[in-house]
Amino acid sequence: MIDWGLAVKILFFGLSAVFSSLALLIGAIYAFGKILKHMEEESK
Amino acid sequence: MVLTTGVAHLTIGNLVMWLIAFFFIYLAITKNYEPLLLVPIGFGILMVNLPLTYLMEEGEGLLWRFYHYGLEWEIIPPLIFLGLGAMTDFAPMIANPKTLILGAGAQFGVYVAFFGALILGFKIPEACSIGIIGGADGPTTIYTTVHLAPHLLGATAVAAYSYMSLVPIIQPPIMRLLTTENERKIKMRQVRPVSKREKILFPLVTVLVICLIVPASAPLMAMFMLGNLFKECGVVKRLSDAASNELMNIVTILLGVSVGATMSAEHFLKWEVIFVFIMGLVAFAFSTAAGIVLAKFMNLFTKEKINPLIGSAGVSAVPMAARVSQLMGSKADPKNFLLMHAMGPNVAGVIGTVVAAGVFLALAG
Repeated sequence: MIDWGLAVKILFFGLSAVFSSLALLIGAIYAFGKILKHMEEESK
Repeated sequence: MVLTTGVAHLTIGNLVMWLIAFFFIYLAITKNYEPLLLVPIGFGILMVNLPLTYLMEEGEGLLWRFYHYGLEWEIIPPLIFLGLGAMTDFAPMIANPKTLILGAGAQFGVYVAFFGALILGFKIPEACSIGIIGGADGPTTIYTTVHLAPHLLGATAVAAYSYMSLVPIIQPPIMRLLTTENERKIKMRQVRPVSKREKILFPLVTVLVICLIVPASAPLMAMFMLGNLFKECGVVKRLSDAASNELMNIVTILLGVSVGATMSAEHFLKWEVIFVFIMGLVAFAFSTAAGIVLAKFMNLFTKEKINPLIGSAGVSAVPMAARVSQLMGSKADPKNFLLMHAMGPNVAGVIGTVVAAGVFLALAG
């Protein structure tokens, strides 16, 4: 007997985790890119 | 005397598996289909289907030791990822981070196949192992399956690697179906140069972000990023070289032979294996389609248009899926160079698949 509740939970958490972790990573890349660019401009 | 020979104990199943082994070796050598994996896998299948050799005898067999200490102890897939990280250039992705999300879109196929497998009668852990084939990542498929459905290891691993090598055949019809000629001609701005500091920071930031959100993905993700840090920091060239060459080659041999060793006749010649292959193909196709559709959806909101062909590269068959995007783009417009743009979603797809696997392991393990 399949636990459809667990299956839906896996779908929901799986897609949420994939999208949210990659979205956070995108934000982090933009953020450290800006910080590094600012640091390079300051050192010039 | 005769009864002590393997000949006396050969079964039809053994002979069928020999044919399958020879077929894989043939594909690898003559057609160049994933030879690094299919040659050892094919030979492993041959070895395990030799009667009375006890190569997979629990506690004693040579192949059992490779399988138990390499795969069941979760050593080999993370070491493969260490090597992959040392070979991967994340610069195209860092240069255009929004394409990372296409690596997420391509995970939809994983869940389509997951539900498809459930409908076909597989249990949840088995469906997870089948679904993850859609991520098009061999080591992640193996890592997930060893935990959740080890009896399906041979089928899922062979399906994953087979479809990865068939990407140039599977993807183009789907890409043509879901895109217009004009969309395929979209030119993207040249990828900006990425500084060394950004490339060094990337693996450190990524391991923190991903492992804090999905701790179960840590073994694969951390080793992936460690390998990448070896590559980018520039001060441990010996370690980077070893990870991407000697170590990678050694664990690839052990991986292939171990996977092949799980494909004895009694474990592989079952109807469920055929369903695994069918659902694996479904997963692949839907992942390709979802990546393209997500790229088209993003174009509704972005000023700079994304060529939707790079969406299909979110299927993490690196770098083949990116090359297919380039090929299809250049067919529409020979002056369009999409390869570096497609590499972004391509490597992002590896991260996405590891996250998806982490959730499977956390909830179904």
